[in-house]
Formats: sequence, C-alpha cells, structure tokens
Amino acid sequence: MKNDKELFSYESLAFFGRVNASISHELKNIMAIISETAGLLNDITEMATEGHAINSDLLQTSARSIMEEIQRGFKTIRQMNRFAHCVDTPVESVRLEEILDLVINIAGYLAYSGTTRMRSLKNEKGIVVTSPLLLAAVVYHALIFSYKNSGPDAEIEIDLSQWNDKMWRIAIHGFNIKPFQTFPDEHLEKIAGSIGVGIQCDRFNNRLDLDVPTNLDDYSIQSDGMTSAN
Amino acid sequence: MKVLLVDDEQKFALMLSKRLELRGFDVKPCFSGEEALEVLKKGARFDAAVLDIKMPGIGGVELKQKLSLLDPNLRFVFLTGHGSDDECIREEDIEMICLPKPLQINTLIETLHRIVGESGGSEKDKKL
Repeated sequence: MKNDKELFSYESLAFFGRVNASISHELKNIMAIISETAGLLNDITEMATEGHAINSDLLQTSARSIMEEIQRGFKTIRQMNRFAHCVDTPVESVRLEEILDLVINIAGYLAYSGTTRMRSLKNEKGIVVTSPLLLAAVVYHALIFSYKNSGPDAEIEIDLSQWNDKMWRIAIHGFNIKPFQTFPDEHLEKIAGSIGVGIQCDRFNNRLDLDVPTNLDDYSIQSDGMTSAN
Repeated sequence: MKVLLVDDEQKFALMLSKRLELRGFDVKPCFSGEEALEVLKKGARFDAAVLDIKMPGIGGVELKQKLSLLDPNLRFVFLTGHGSDDECIREEDIEMICLPKPLQINTLIETLHRIVGESGGSEKDKKL
C-alpha cells in the first residue's frame, strides 16, 4: 500500500467482500432448504400418483418450512440492504445500537459465529458522529475475534455505555482469549484510529473495549491514520 | 445403503434425509460434528457420510479425519454452500468429493453409489 488512503480503500472493499460472501452463503443455505423441501413435495406428489396415501403432516411441515425460509431470506436481504446503506455518507450521525445490531446480524451468518446479545445500559441513546462503514468494520472484526476465541455454544455479550460526555464504550466479553492471539492487527488499529476509536484487548479479564468518540470532528486524523483529541 | 448425514442446517438435513429414505436409503441425520462423532463412538456404522464443510465447532474436513479414525472404511461426500463448485479441490485432500448446495438429489445418489460401489438402496423400503 502506498499510503493510508489506499489502505482504507482496500480494507473497506475487503470488508464489503467478506460480508457479501457470508450473506451469499446464508442465502445459499436458505435456497438449499427450499430446494430440498420443494423436492420433497414433488416426491409426495409422485407417490400420490402411484397410489400411496398422502402424508398430510409432512405436507404441512413442508409448506411451513418453505414459508419460514422465505421469511429468513427476506430478513437476510433487509440486513444486506442496511449494510449497503452504510456507505451512503462517509461521516454522519448514527445510533450506536443500530450499528451494533447490524454487525451482530451480518456476523451471525459466519459458520463459526456464536450467539450474541447486546445490552444498552440505562436506555442511553448512543448517538455518535462517525463513519458508519469503518465503525461497522472495526466492530465486525472484534466480533470475529470473539467468536474465534470461544466455543460454538458461547454467548458473546456486548455492553454499550456512555464512558464520559465525549466517549462511548462498547465492551465485548463472553470469550476466552487463546494463547498467542492478539487484537487488533496493525491495519485494523490504523482504521480504528482514523475514526478515533480506541481498542483495548484485556487478556486478563477476557474482554475487548472499543471506545468510540461522540463526535469524530473532535479528533484530527494524523498522517499515519491515528487520531488525536483536539 | 446406510448414510450418515451431518449438517448444522437442521431443516436441510431433515428434508434431505427424508428424500433419501423415500429412495431406500437408511439415513442418520446429525446436526453437528460432535453429535456425529458420538454416534460412531457408540458403535453405529455407515457405508458413507455426507458432511457439510462449514459448521460451527468441528467442520466437515476435520470431522472426516476424526470419523476415519473410528471407521477407516467410511466413504465421504462433502456439501458446500460456499464459493465455487470446485472449492474442495483447493483442500489438501485430493480424494474429497464435493457437491454444491442447493444440490441435485440424483447427483448425490449417483455419487454415493459410485463411492460405495452399491447399486442402490434397499428395495423393500424404496418408494420412489
């Protein structure tokens, strides 16, 4: 990479690609279920024409399965649409809860994802001025790190709270950091730094803290992509 | 033919099992690699295993290695909802046979017959 601008462009594109791949995998799974269920309905029809009795329970289960998978497909497409709109405006006022909810959903399509629960403390609004895409990318990578450091049945928890009047904290826990695992890598640290997000990986307490500034304008982006408070 | 079918998409596994059963196969669906291992550890034996590649916990490729230790005669077919149809070729194991999802049931059946070397499922249970 020649410079940080190229790095951010590449990482944004790579993030889009990764999310695209996991969403397309989810849609393929949905299509696979619908395909098998339609195939089973066809089997039942063929059997009926050959004189076998129709199993009405199986018919009902199959029809319900198709309807449920179509709803699952619509939900997936809605998440895809929400994600696509992350790039509408480079920097804008967003609700942290919405960004977290979106990332939890799109990360949930990964094969190794666990259950993730978000808690917003004290019903706080969590409105920040930031880059929705870059913030989503940072949280996404943090969740992937959490999943990879937990078992398939793990429950990852995300707590959102106002740290002070200039900072919100996203605390991720419910995993056990494996030996030699570190977070973030150099690239992600630069990207997080570019939007003023500080990342602390607490190996002792097995948690990640992401500190998000209330207003990106309070930070100036330095030539190395890191930020400093004005 | 006895088939072990492992896929974390439970509905997919159940629907495919039912369709194979209608064609005379004796199918045991499992929804995780861990569950499949338990089934073999308890002594069950199969002619072939159909494994989803991407699963939480033990994925299909790792599961194949573990199942092979329990039953060296077991034959394998992999299913994938990811990427291109020849994804498995990139894996180190050149013997992997991989079918894309959504799959054609006749392709799966032909593949199972080919790797096991049988002519079909038990005729007495065959409805299709």
